[in-house]
Amino acid sequence: MGANQRLRQRTVWLLIIVLVVGFGAVISRLAYLQLVAGEDLQQKAVEQQLSDTTIRAKRGTIYDRNGQILAQSASVWQVVLSPANFKTDEQREFVATELAEILKLDKAEVLEQTKQDSYYVVVKRKVESEEQKKILELMNQIEEKYEIASVIALLDDYKRYYPYGELAASVIGFTGSDDQGLSGVENEYDEYLTGTPGRLITATNANGTAMPFDYSQNVEAVDGNSLVLTLDETIQSIVERHMKQGIEDYDVYNRGVGIAMDVNTGEILAMATVDGYDPNDPFTINKDDRKKIKEIDKEYLYENGYLKENENPTNKELEELLATARSEAESAALSKMWRNKAISDTYYPGSVFKMVSLSMALEEGTVTADTAFTCSGVFELYDKKIGCHLSSGHGTQNYTQALCNSCNPAFIQIGQSVGEEKFWEYYQSFGFSEKTGIDLPGESDDIFFTEDGSMGPVDLAVASFGQNFSITPIQMITAASAIANGGDLVQPHVVKQILGTDGSVVQNISTDTKRQVISEEVAKEMRNILEQNAIGGTGKNGYVAGYRIAGKTGTSEKLSDSNGDNVQDYIASYCGFAPADNPEIALLVFFDTPLSGNYYGSAVAAPVFANIMGEVLPYLEVDAQYTEEEAANVDTTTGTYTGLSVSEASKLVNADGFEVTIKGEGTKVVSQVPAAGSNIPTGGTVVLYTDENSVTEKVTVPNLVGYSLYDVNYLASYYGINISITGAVNSSDSLSTAQSIAEGTQVSAGTVVTVTFSSSSVND
Amino acid sequence: MSQLSHYATHRESQHHRYISDRRRTTEASARTERNRYANKRPVKRKIHFSLLNIGKGLDVPFCMLIVLLLAIGITMMFSASYPIAFYEIGDSYYYLKRQLIFAIVGIAIMLAVSYFDYHHFHRFSALILGVSYFALVVVLLIPSQTGIHRWIGIGDYGIQASEISKFAIILFLAHWGSKYYDRMDTVKYGVLPGAAVFASTAFLLLLEPHYSCIVIVALLTVVMLFVSGIEIKWIGVAAVILAIAVLILWATGLLSYAMDRMDGWGKALEYVDETQWQQTWQTRNSLYAIGSGGMFGLGLGQSRQKYLYLPEPQNDFVFAIVCEELGLIGAVAILLVFALLVWRGIVISLRAKDRFGKLLGIGLTSQIGIQVILNILVITDWLPNTGISLPFFSYGGSSLLMLLFQMGIVLSISRSANIEKI
Repeated sequence: MGANQRLRQRTVWLLIIVLVVGFGAVISRLAYLQLVAGEDLQQKAVEQQLSDTTIRAKRGTIYDRNGQILAQSASVWQVVLSPANFKTDEQREFVATELAEILKLDKAEVLEQTKQDSYYVVVKRKVESEEQKKILELMNQIEEKYEIASVIALLDDYKRYYPYGELAASVIGFTGSDDQGLSGVENEYDEYLTGTPGRLITATNANGTAMPFDYSQNVEAVDGNSLVLTLDETIQSIVERHMKQGIEDYDVYNRGVGIAMDVNTGEILAMATVDGYDPNDPFTINKDDRKKIKEIDKEYLYENGYLKENENPTNKELEELLATARSEAESAALSKMWRNKAISDTYYPGSVFKMVSLSMALEEGTVTADTAFTCSGVFELYDKKIGCHLSSGHGTQNYTQALCNSCNPAFIQIGQSVGEEKFWEYYQSFGFSEKTGIDLPGESDDIFFTEDGSMGPVDLAVASFGQNFSITPIQMITAASAIANGGDLVQPHVVKQILGTDGSVVQNISTDTKRQVISEEVAKEMRNILEQNAIGGTGKNGYVAGYRIAGKTGTSEKLSDSNGDNVQDYIASYCGFAPADNPEIALLVFFDTPLSGNYYGSAVAAPVFANIMGEVLPYLEVDAQYTEEEAANVDTTTGTYTGLSVSEASKLVNADGFEVTIKGEGTKVVSQVPAAGSNIPTGGTVVLYTDENSVTEKVTVPNLVGYSLYDVNYLASYYGINISITGAVNSSDSLSTAQSIAEGTQVSAGTVVTVTFSSSSVND
Repeated sequence: MSQLSHYATHRESQHHRYISDRRRTTEASARTERNRYANKRPVKRKIHFSLLNIGKGLDVPFCMLIVLLLAIGITMMFSASYPIAFYEIGDSYYYLKRQLIFAIVGIAIMLAVSYFDYHHFHRFSALILGVSYFALVVVLLIPSQTGIHRWIGIGDYGIQASEISKFAIILFLAHWGSKYYDRMDTVKYGVLPGAAVFASTAFLLLLEPHYSCIVIVALLTVVMLFVSGIEIKWIGVAAVILAIAVLILWATGLLSYAMDRMDGWGKALEYVDETQWQQTWQTRNSLYAIGSGGMFGLGLGQSRQKYLYLPEPQNDFVFAIVCEELGLIGAVAILLVFALLVWRGIVISLRAKDRFGKLLGIGLTSQIGIQVILNILVITDWLPNTGISLPFFSYGGSSLLMLLFQMGIVLSISRSANIEKI
């Protein structure tokens, strides 16, 4: 082979290797990637190129049953920086200074953010429209001043507002930073309220900013559904106001619960856990708890098991333990604050449960009107002695008297007549053994003696007056509603309607009757007994003049000593309904651990019950029917007397049923006390002022607590004020227990002071 | 003067004989060539420059192919680079402007070099090899933040020392192969010098480190020695030695830099762990780009992957964007142009009147083919991502100048062959 031929030959080989093998391999590889794997690779490429921006849907509004807005989302903005677009430090300095000022942020922190090499740094969320306007101005300024790509962006965001603040907070709940419902209805109905977020799909570069070619697809957000609650803002306010007053008056340690329910539909008209929290600011703990958390010290660590008795931690360990203890105490305080006691707390229902026990016995026919129950003050069962609250004993009673006396020994006998098996059957049928299924998160289960309902004779004895088993307040009022409405156990619920974004009704939540638990006749008999109890029995402090109230007191012992004072804790409760002949509304009032000395349901819960009913029933336009005795104390509304001549006005005042007192020397009435539209008892005094000087005349409110109705009336007229009366005034032993304006206050003559009466003789 | 006339007459007779008896001619020319260098007679030949004869003797197809590739290359480099230039520098035309200037300067250099008698490189081959060693050593002494020493800077501009090495090795082996052509089947002349040059260069490149260049240099060495006529078994031996060397390096951890890239090699699309996922980012996005192109591509300028997904789309991975925008059709068309260039380059080389020209042309042309193949194998994840640029396409002033300079030499070879023909 010639030398040149070899070169030539080898070169040809080389050419073949490079072109055929090399380029062949390359082309086949490319063909594989582009044709075979192409679709898959393109899919992956597109996935990373398309930025999927979520457009937030506006969260639905929550209304009360009358259309009052309880929770609403309003547009706010998110301020986002694209610091990578900054060119100079001077620009950073300028923007940081301005932003910090508008948004009230730390300038150093914002400056730090402007130095990041990023296109997306969230500066502040939930910025409101006032600040948003200023930022828009700033953006214009930046555009004029520097020729740089936009460094600030305002993104849509929503913020949740609760216009009524604390009102019904435990029912409504609140939302978290991402607009997600965290408790209450907000949580339970989150999927309805949230809506469907929209998507803005755009082609973006790796930094997430839009690519210059035209690709964008917009899927509109669908705003959330709105909810109409069964709650009535007015009733809720009334309940909360009186509950608050009660908590203050009776020094209640563990808050209180008030539930108002439509007995026929199961609609919750009001549900209050007092004190509550402000859902606008749900993460702020109240002052007392904050103080307690602050005061956590080494001793606390030993007492609460963070440290064993003989442990001696180093300073660093101590610091860590204290921090742990504090953060745990804080979360405990928060969850306590958010807790809806009406459905999450369990308690011994106590004597309130007697209405259920008696219902069972009447339904089963194990007691009749002729059955006699004797009470010697103590009931002996085997070697156990069970006392009555009246240690002298109630003597011989029929069942009506037994309930009105709230006599434990009598109810032991009633329970025994029913028997363990039937008792458990009715317990179940009244809905105590299962959750009521109310549309709120966090409902607790009952705690009965045993899972299967079996119980011993002593268990049955105490159970018949509501001790040693635990139920939730919502279970109790649901059972009471069944008695009130003629025997139907209805499903309690707080949402009445689900509305579409256009306001149309998407879903009506109708009444769900679970079952009939007692017959119409038994229910009627029970209403009658309970009404008698409210008029003259242990429940009389819950009576409201002019209305047919039925109710039962309860005082239950608590298992735990929550405040650590080594004194037995009690829950004072009152459960009833009105009007007794045709009940509309049931109300349960419940105070957990009153510390003012008197812890009886009759003394603590009943007056609050009466006050609430006294306002709610007129609001519900239930016609008042007064007894003759009551008629004297019935409030009448004052008219407008100003502008009239003195004689004309006097005539009118008298015609309206009031006494008249004229102050001043003028001929025309320039002002009046009480103001037009005030409610004062018939026969009260209306003071008419005829010149400006006389208006300044003040009287001092006297002490009105601790007197009989007669005395209070006398004092009122003596001091020149008017009184409005609530509570139990019918019984001879009623005494005033509270006054709405404190003793010693200077008020205009004729001012109305509300005085609460209650019977002091009942301790139940 | 006497030398020149002697050369002229000699060439003339040689030419005459070539026409009449090809086989005899080749043997004779080998002899005369050997004799000439033994006598240390300088070779001189001149084509006088004039605007009218600018194309005289120039291989027009090869020249057209270069211009075509350069035009397509710059267009595609611009298309691939304008987003990144805009986002990172603020001037979409940043890379285009620079590359255009270099291309114009490069074309001028190419044409100038095509007038230059390539035989002069005979004399300078050893010197240039020395320069390449010097550059490789100097580059190691320049402090580097990354721990990788590759660039020798001149002001804002720099050149990779390895660019010189590749040329130096082709040149030296062409020189050696033509000088000792009939002794290339011996170990002493055929294997050892080539092996020594490669080993020393590879050692210095290892210190940089610049593994991909070692691979190219190795392939170039093999091509040059193969074409120069060494026994084929030595190539097998070299392969075995190389394998053992790599194994040793692997074991000693000297491959640590390339190891990172090796780890993710071939696994760009599967998620192993975060580190691997980050390391294979560029390769993965290259695959996404190539796959997105499909048969017909997204259209010129329509790449999406160049929007900061594919890092440095103007450099080694420019062809991935080409595939995305022009599809398989476009990619294959471009590869065909490359293939034509290689083919034409080889044809030119084989037409060269002397073995030095043949070997030099083959080496320079092969380098393009090798780089194209390796580059595409890298961007398609068949080879580890180690930094092999695509001739005429990848951004880079010095390498483009070097490339066009080398093409100038091939044109010079064509010119001398063609002129002598006339």
